[in-house]
Amino acid sequence: MRFLVLFFALILSACGKEPLVQTKSYVFGTLVDISIYGETEEKAHEVTSQILQSFQRLHHQYHAWQSDSELSKLNQTFAAGKQPVEISPELAQMLAQAQTLSKESQDLFNPAIGGLIGAWGFQRDEFSPVEINDLTIQKLVQANPQMSDIVIKDNTAFSTNPSVKIDLGGYAKGYALDLALAELQKQGVKNALVNIGGNIIALGQHGDKPWRVGIQHPRNPKPMATVDLLSGWAIGTSGDYQRYFEQAGKRYCHIIDPRSGYPAQSTQAVTVLISPSPQAGVLSDVASKPIFLSAPDQRANAAKAMGVDHYLVVDAEGKVTLSASMNQRVHWLAKPEKITVQ
Amino acid sequence: MKGALRWGKPLLGDVLVILVGLIVVAYLIKSLWHNEQAAKLQIRLGDKIYSTYSLDQNRTIDLQGPIGITRIVIADGRARFASSPCPNQYCVHQGWLSHKGQAAFCLPNQVSLELLSGEKPFDSLNY
Repeated sequence: MRFLVLFFALILSACGKEPLVQTKSYVFGTLVDISIYGETEEKAHEVTSQILQSFQRLHHQYHAWQSDSELSKLNQTFAAGKQPVEISPELAQMLAQAQTLSKESQDLFNPAIGGLIGAWGFQRDEFSPVEINDLTIQKLVQANPQMSDIVIKDNTAFSTNPSVKIDLGGYAKGYALDLALAELQKQGVKNALVNIGGNIIALGQHGDKPWRVGIQHPRNPKPMATVDLLSGWAIGTSGDYQRYFEQAGKRYCHIIDPRSGYPAQSTQAVTVLISPSPQAGVLSDVASKPIFLSAPDQRANAAKAMGVDHYLVVDAEGKVTLSASMNQRVHWLAKPEKITVQ
Repeated sequence: MKGALRWGKPLLGDVLVILVGLIVVAYLIKSLWHNEQAAKLQIRLGDKIYSTYSLDQNRTIDLQGPIGITRIVIADGRARFASSPCPNQYCVHQGWLSHKGQAAFCLPNQVSLELLSGEKPFDSLNY
């Protein structure tokens, strides 16, 4: 009898509810998923709600196509001339960070091409296929908007090139992850996982195991692999499968090559795994783009230039190439027939 | 009283039989609970869990989201978006979901589907 009692006690304790509080909501036009482990439910909800409020603030303040956002107003003054205008210290810091990253990426990460993104119809809440106007795209590329055209000084900014139109769509979610991590730590939370539209940052772990994240397959509605995300690490994917439209049998994704003005065609997905740093979140958002846009033989260089060791590429044919360090971190759920380790 | 069934101190054999039985049960629980097909469909609408359905019973669920009615179908242990008012129809194109951990969302109508079983293979999805 004692065995049975002991057995059921063990089984029942295994069924006991874990102190995991998970909240899902919609911000930045996407799904935000916050898991907090090991705190009381009350505390977890309080911290989650604070983080969601700061996400909402970021979303409105730096919205690329709502005309009353701080960012839209700045874009209007950029277009109007070279008169410096006052901007918030936060926006000044964000733009400076984006300038540095744009330079490191050799201008492949270029948030100044808001004009192009708009021309492709991706600056809409509900986008639909657009008429492709080659002349418009050509003009927008020739105007050559660059982050380095922006002059930031004492919380003021102006642009030497009126075609500069900032769109932080490839940066803001990462910035928000870094902000969330800082807030969680400030509130004394030890273990949490924050997912903004697929970009994820981890703090601590899930009980006695690291946080584990699935990497979405670019063509099937299921994860192809999992990665253990250790404390402070972040992961991000750029894919052609979340925002795109198809026209005449061709896929046009939201990742636009600033050199040609056209959506990238040679890649399905790039996943980067970023080691802990105060800008891990930002890098998880930004660093996948230059790799996505690089020619196959330039991907390793693009990763290195951004300080990224761990990356995984699924090319247009579905072939998987990954760095040696990434290969050690990935657990395949559906292992591709052929993988190349770089 | 000799020969009658009595509850006394269990013999070594009894203990062994019970022990072996428990080990077999524990082994079966461990091996069968982890690799099974999904058992449940969790539907979220906005930031709330709308409902959780068993995949055992075929059914059609219509729910009202911010931009209209989304239809979800459960059939033969699988689930999918059958129709949606969203312009791009990505959710419908995702097709059937059948294994635990699979998920599909419709961002415009704020509906998400997630297949659940005893345990998820990961905490969150990178996409």
